[in-house]
Amino acid sequence: MASPVPVIDDVSFDDLMNDPYPIYARARKMGSVVRVAAANIALVTRFDDIVEIERDPETYSSVNPASLVNKVMGHTLMRKDGADHAAERKAMEPALRPGTATRCWAPKFEAICDELIEAMRPSGEADLFDAFAAPMAARGLDALLGFGGVDWRRLAHWSQSLMDGAGNYSGDPAIAREAAQSAREIEETIARMLPQHRAAPNDSVLSAMVQAGQPIEQIHANIKVAVGGGLNEPRDAILTLVLGLLENLDQLAAVKADPALWGPAFEEAVRWISPIGMYPRRVARPVTLGGADLEQDQQIGLCVAAANHDPARFADPSRFDILRPKQSHLAFGAGAHFCAGTWVARVMVSKLAVPRLFERLPNLRIADPAGVRIRGWVFRGPTALPVAWDR
Amino acid sequence: MQITYVQPDGSARTVKASLGVSLMEVAVNNAIPGIVGECNGSAACATCHVVLPQAVFDRLAPPEDHEIDMLDFADSPRQPCSRLGCQVRLSDEMDGMTVTIPA
Repeated sequence: MASPVPVIDDVSFDDLMNDPYPIYARARKMGSVVRVAAANIALVTRFDDIVEIERDPETYSSVNPASLVNKVMGHTLMRKDGADHAAERKAMEPALRPGTATRCWAPKFEAICDELIEAMRPSGEADLFDAFAAPMAARGLDALLGFGGVDWRRLAHWSQSLMDGAGNYSGDPAIAREAAQSAREIEETIARMLPQHRAAPNDSVLSAMVQAGQPIEQIHANIKVAVGGGLNEPRDAILTLVLGLLENLDQLAAVKADPALWGPAFEEAVRWISPIGMYPRRVARPVTLGGADLEQDQQIGLCVAAANHDPARFADPSRFDILRPKQSHLAFGAGAHFCAGTWVARVMVSKLAVPRLFERLPNLRIADPAGVRIRGWVFRGPTALPVAWDR
Repeated sequence: MQITYVQPDGSARTVKASLGVSLMEVAVNNAIPGIVGECNGSAACATCHVVLPQAVFDRLAPPEDHEIDMLDFADSPRQPCSRLGCQVRLSDEMDGMTVTIPA
């Protein structure tokens, strides 16, 4: 017998932003689908439910005519299913393959990484958010997209304002204007770069899309998705991995002794604090999920951050443990929309950025534990990570 | 039809399968260890690596560059008859075949 969706209505939006995990744990116990009033959406928090949903795109669709993402970015591949989605994804794929990441992007990321480390090294201390992770992610994304060297702060601003626009459920006109302005500036950048990419095909995402013959509307929309969704994730993964290791020095010693552990360490970091905590799906036909009745056109939030802390899947889930038994997680999503940037992120974060930080900055340590800040729920990561090292 | 999956430790399981379904889907539906299928058949996650019998491999159209790239970065090294299970759809002549999940 199916029952209505239970509600959590005694937590504030700020509670969610500060630490959503206790709220997820409550929701997970209450049912497969639980409405969190402060978030204004019904959340799916159990690992197996999300896997089931992502294997059934006909029932749980990414197509959503009312999507704010589409309003801000155009008709992006994130809000399509089936053949349309597959064709657009294929057009970007050559730039994002693991082989391309290793052969082409790794040397470029390495140069950016070393420059950033050298710039901050003499000071002996820094907030890794601004001094390293944000510029690393932004400049890496600039290279990957084929943007030709946009100032990293500009790119970071575009990314943030597009995401703010996509989450602008209250319809704030100032946020909408800012998102539209960033969207225009991205289109101008694309227009400026396209002649070069046409004249000299290369490994960048823009070039791949040109070579695949994508129409300009598609290039605009999907490059905006890559700007909105390709910056904060590697940035937050870098910071989370550094934080996890600095808070667990035995694990730091283990990964220094055995560099093969950098891969598992990265996967554990994004499981522990998933940079993208939630993404939506639209219920395309009435369905019952784990005893909860879902109506057609209802929005549900797939809370992968919660699933990655599901004790039915991960023992002692709130503990950062790079040595836990290998077990797939949902930090990159699942199904046809599995993060296309996964392999590039693995190369940037676990092969270059974080190992080199620990290599080059002797005795890297948290300078001020009270100054460490972690915030967010839809997107979550450290927002301040003050560290020091021996000069 | 039937497919047998052999694990790295040599243990084998034979499961029922239907025409047109992928080797990844059959494995996931039967909870065969070692085949995860995170991307559900989009050739994006490299978690459904299988090794086919030579004769079957030879009969199929060769893997595209993208699939080869993914196989090169799968957890286990690519072998001459490696494929992503999601890219192999079952046809009549595969009935009864044995595929190996690499170590």
